Amino acid sequence: MKDRIGLGWRPELAAGILSNLDKIDVVEVIADDFFAARRHKRRALRTLAAQTKVTLHGVSLGMASAVAVEPKRLERMARLCEEIAPLSWSEHLAFVRGGGVEIGHLAAPPRTAATIDGALINLERARKIVGVAPQVENVATLIDPPGSDRDEATWVAEIVRGSGADLLLDLHNLHANALNFHFNPFDFIARIPAERVAAIHLAGGKWIGENGARRLLDDHLHDVPDAVYDLLTEVGARAPRPLTVVLERDGAFPSIDCLLQQLERARQALAQGRARLFAAGDEEAAA
Amino acid sequence: MNPFDMRGPEFLVFYILLSVIIITALVLTRRVAEAANAPRLDLSDPYLIACLRRGESEALVVALVSLIDRGLLIFDGTRIERAQGVTPDSVRRPIEKALIEKFATPNEASSIFDDITLKMACDQYQETLKSARLLPDESVTQARMLRFVIAFFILGAVGGVKIFVALERGRTNVAFLIILMIVAIALAARVSSPRLTASGSAMLADVQTLYSNLRERAAFIRPGGATIEAMMLAATFGVGALAGEAFAYTKVLFPRAKSSAAGSSCGSSCGSSCGSSCGGGGCGGGCGGCGG
Repeated sequence: MKDRIGLGWRPELAAGILSNLDKIDVVEVIADDFFAARRHKRRALRTLAAQTKVTLHGVSLGMASAVAVEPKRLERMARLCEEIAPLSWSEHLAFVRGGGVEIGHLAAPPRTAATIDGALINLERARKIVGVAPQVENVATLIDPPGSDRDEATWVAEIVRGSGADLLLDLHNLHANALNFHFNPFDFIARIPAERVAAIHLAGGKWIGENGARRLLDDHLHDVPDAVYDLLTEVGARAPRPLTVVLERDGAFPSIDCLLQQLERARQALAQGRARLFAAGDEEAAA
Repeated sequence: MNPFDMRGPEFLVFYILLSVIIITALVLTRRVAEAANAPRLDLSDPYLIACLRRGESEALVVALVSLIDRGLLIFDGTRIERAQGVTPDSVRRPIEKALIEKFATPNEASSIFDDITLKMACDQYQETLKSARLLPDESVTQARMLRFVIAFFILGAVGGVKIFVALERGRTNVAFLIILMIVAIALAARVSSPRLTASGSAMLADVQTLYSNLRERAAFIRPGGATIEAMMLAATFGVGALAGEAFAYTKVLFPRAKSSAAGSSCGSSCGSSCGSSCGGGGCGGGCGGCGG
């Protein structure tokens, strides 16, 4: 089983990433940065894709919404996918606009049958226009979405099962939501369809707010906490497919060595999970 | 209308138009013939990128600056010599070994440009770039030559026939046409054989785009081989792009290299614990950043 461990592409990390491609299996690029990019930037992205495996990550489609994603947005993603031929593409289970207003944020929608239906329609449309459905990512939220009639694990699982899309499981988003809304993240992992998990995001965050209203903010500006590596081990022990694990870092960049250490730690955590998965498989075969 | 019956000034205009068409065709056909998808290249090697950008001499310049930056060579303001205790085994890459070997005897920086041994140490880069078809290999050179010969024949034949016709009609004012022919053929030769192939030029532009952020942060890049960023910046945009006090010596080493990097002149406040202990080609990831 060939799991891939990599980093999110940020221009600030270019020298570090390109100098360490022997330790970085995959690079995740924010697709939206290239939708309206000039020709030379897109050509440079093609050159990057010639050097290493690339995945595309969208942040502005707003898949989990009762509002339909505009075809022109999907067509831009389709063109970029055609140009770059990425390993995969992904988008968040979030809404980003409503009533013509861009909210500039990946907001968690109410977890209801209506938003599930909206997400399924959007994902089907994405599959038709881009040619392949995106991997869908769970989002972090600082407020429990009002109007919800089911919990996050149920909602995510229903979308993944209903759409046939793979899941990009953001473990820091899960960690943050679990701490902020007091649920067990291991229970979440047990309840989602493990066979649909294809990719993982790792990141860090910080605590904000006062005593009574403290929240863990997924800011991508801090190192990956220990608890997230534990979750990665758990996913490794359950998900039977090869995983693409990407460390996201958006600012306060440490040295590339520091990021590579986190990748190595992720590799080890995943290997521990894989060892459990294979041991369980062996036991099943023996029985 | 027979162009050879045109009056002198009219024919000159005709010949200029013909030259423009032929030179444009040369450029376009070369671009089409040499275009290719970006090859996989070792973008972690600053000397390879420097060689792509400006050839062997530039690879030597970047390697020299890298060795001085890492304290393996000492520059006293006029001459360079290797630091105490440093041997060719202290570094990894052949180009660095050759430079360490050369500066066992103190010498001026410019002496690297006419040293055959150093040029030979760069051969691997030229070969890598040729095999990736970023520099013209034999087949590309032949194709270029063929296109130039065709252009030469057309420009030479049209001009030559007109001169013959003019002389036959007793006119000797053909000096302008001869000058124009020389200029057109020289231009055709020039556009036929640039140093890089079309895909080489595209690759260089792409690498410069990918590393563009380095240029914006030039003033904050740490010296001392702490990270590979300084050498990547020098390799991709030239030694003149290095900014800050720590790299001021590069302006004296190579006086023509002007800093093209914008930003303040303050150096990095981060100390380096890496020093000169790195094996070669920079420190890879280096010793740690400022933490943002």
